[in-house]
Amino acid sequence: MSMPLYKLGAFGDEASLVVAFLIGIGFGFFLEQAGFGSAKKLTDQFYFRDLAVFRVMFTAIVTAMLGLFWLGWAGVVDLSLVYVSTTYLAPQIVGGLLLGVGFTVGGYCPGTSVVAVATGKLDALFFLGGTFLGILAIGVAWPAVEGFAHSTDLGRLTLPEVLHLPFGAVVFLVVLMALGGFWGAGALERRLGGKGEEEP
Amino acid sequence: MSRATDWLARRTLNERLALLAVALGLGALAVGDVEARGKVTLDTRELARIVEGEVDHVTPEELADWMIAGRADYRLVDLRAEEDFAAYHLPGAERRAIAGLEQAGLGRDERIILYSAEGIHSAQAWMLLKAHRYPAVYILLGGLAGWQEHVLYPLEPAPDAPIAERAAFARAGEIARHFGGAPRPWSDSGSAPAALAPPRPTSPAVAAPVAPPTGAKPGAKRKKEGC
Amino acid sequence: MTTPSDAAPAAVRRAPAPYMNPYLAGIGLGLVLLASYLVMGRGLGASGAFSSACAVAVGAVAPAHAAGNPFWQDYLQAGVGHPLKEWLVFEVLGVLAGGFLSGVLARRVRATVEKGPRISTGGRFALALAGGALMGIGAKLARGCTSGQALSGGAVLSAGSWAFMLMVFAGAYGAAWFLRRQWR
Repeated sequence: MSMPLYKLGAFGDEASLVVAFLIGIGFGFFLEQAGFGSAKKLTDQFYFRDLAVFRVMFTAIVTAMLGLFWLGWAGVVDLSLVYVSTTYLAPQIVGGLLLGVGFTVGGYCPGTSVVAVATGKLDALFFLGGTFLGILAIGVAWPAVEGFAHSTDLGRLTLPEVLHLPFGAVVFLVVLMALGGFWGAGALERRLGGKGEEEP
Repeated sequence: MSRATDWLARRTLNERLALLAVALGLGALAVGDVEARGKVTLDTRELARIVEGEVDHVTPEELADWMIAGRADYRLVDLRAEEDFAAYHLPGAERRAIAGLEQAGLGRDERIILYSAEGIHSAQAWMLLKAHRYPAVYILLGGLAGWQEHVLYPLEPAPDAPIAERAAFARAGEIARHFGGAPRPWSDSGSAPAALAPPRPTSPAVAAPVAPPTGAKPGAKRKKEGC
Repeated sequence: MTTPSDAAPAAVRRAPAPYMNPYLAGIGLGLVLLASYLVMGRGLGASGAFSSACAVAVGAVAPAHAAGNPFWQDYLQAGVGHPLKEWLVFEVLGVLAGGFLSGVLARRVRATVEKGPRISTGGRFALALAGGALMGIGAKLARGCTSGQALSGGAVLSAGSWAFMLMVFAGAYGAAWFLRRQWR
């Protein structure tokens, strides 16, 4: 059990910022390689023309999930030290809906808009400006929405706990779901998106 | 066998990746849970090094300084019985039983200071938390008895003690009164300290020490990890 | 940083490289996310960095308001000695650098406005601004965006993150019909 390195005191806060920059480079690189610096490519997802968002996102989730599971099993990483975002069900549902609508309207999400700005998309600058305005609005209105934002606090809740299944069983289900989704994605693109042929 | 490798050779990259994912997923299904509850690992050499180096101790005087400085970057845990806790506990302490301490809501990213009546229980609880890989667990040296003797009722130095020691005692007296105790004159040196003071008395404020003993800033919040 | 003059000649000479196979890009992204969990014990993020920047701006312009508002205080008290010396801020600076690097290698760095043929540039800017604002509000309510919640929380099987992810797709597909003329 020697990981996560930072939580077990392998390096300090200042060094963690260097790590942050390096991890960010990798994140930005693969987002751009996937084509997520383009609002057109991103929103094609929602018209069934190109389900790359779904493919890339679920491949990434499956990769990281399998990695954490097996490294946890091998005793390399202490999974209890890995941060699991807290569940606040109602605000996450409402926030998710707003964010989804914003995705289609604006064409980006916060991470991809940074990549788009890096590759010269001027519309992404406006999207970034909008994000700042949205955060400004909710920050100023925070006393009014704080009660809702803190409601339905279910703590550190994971799918294995919700489904009463072993961790490994949920991992397997997510893999199956993702592969089933990838298989169906090509069919959806052909039938609904008017795409001639499947992805390579 | 060769037909299987032939078949595999004819798969596209995407198909091979999918097969790999299925294999790892099936393996996960077979393994089930990664960590059985209650099973812990101990790095005995590392523990011995910490015990010998005595780096896991906080003296009562240090803790008193932290409290006066208003530091909030630690959790103070009282391991005594509930009646004893109700009768008196250190300011800001929370009571926890040793059984199930690793599930008592203490974070692994927090600085945890344990104390008991004298120190045996906190040493045992320290071992328990260390075994559950809590990285920053400390023991209040001497437990409550040490707190009583060094912070609440510090003993005046002998009349022939060096000047510096006598000067330090003036501040110790102020700190003692801040926490509801009182310095003991040198003539008391043979007797045991008086009964424990009531919790949280009103008392004259003490000037905060110039710099907190370690690097963390006073009142630092827990680190944000979310988006 | 991306003026047409320095990027255009390369773009004229050779066409942009095709995008990476989505599954390989996904594996790359997943390995970066895994590295973040192994090294830091935390996932990736994006919107938090904008909140830090926003909080610093509010703190500079309206210190009295910022001092009394727990939302801004939360971000102003974070960071290694300064609210902008914060993990997510440095990570997003890395995203900017990594995106630029990839864009240069694939000859995709060009000052452009991406829009459909039937929409004016101004209209596209207005939609981007509005979408960004919705995104900012939604991300703060949900405590994260597609990076922090859907991707990072999804990989560690957080129940709330999966609920969030479903709702993002629901919201995006729900709105798509009304905006179908934006890109066509």
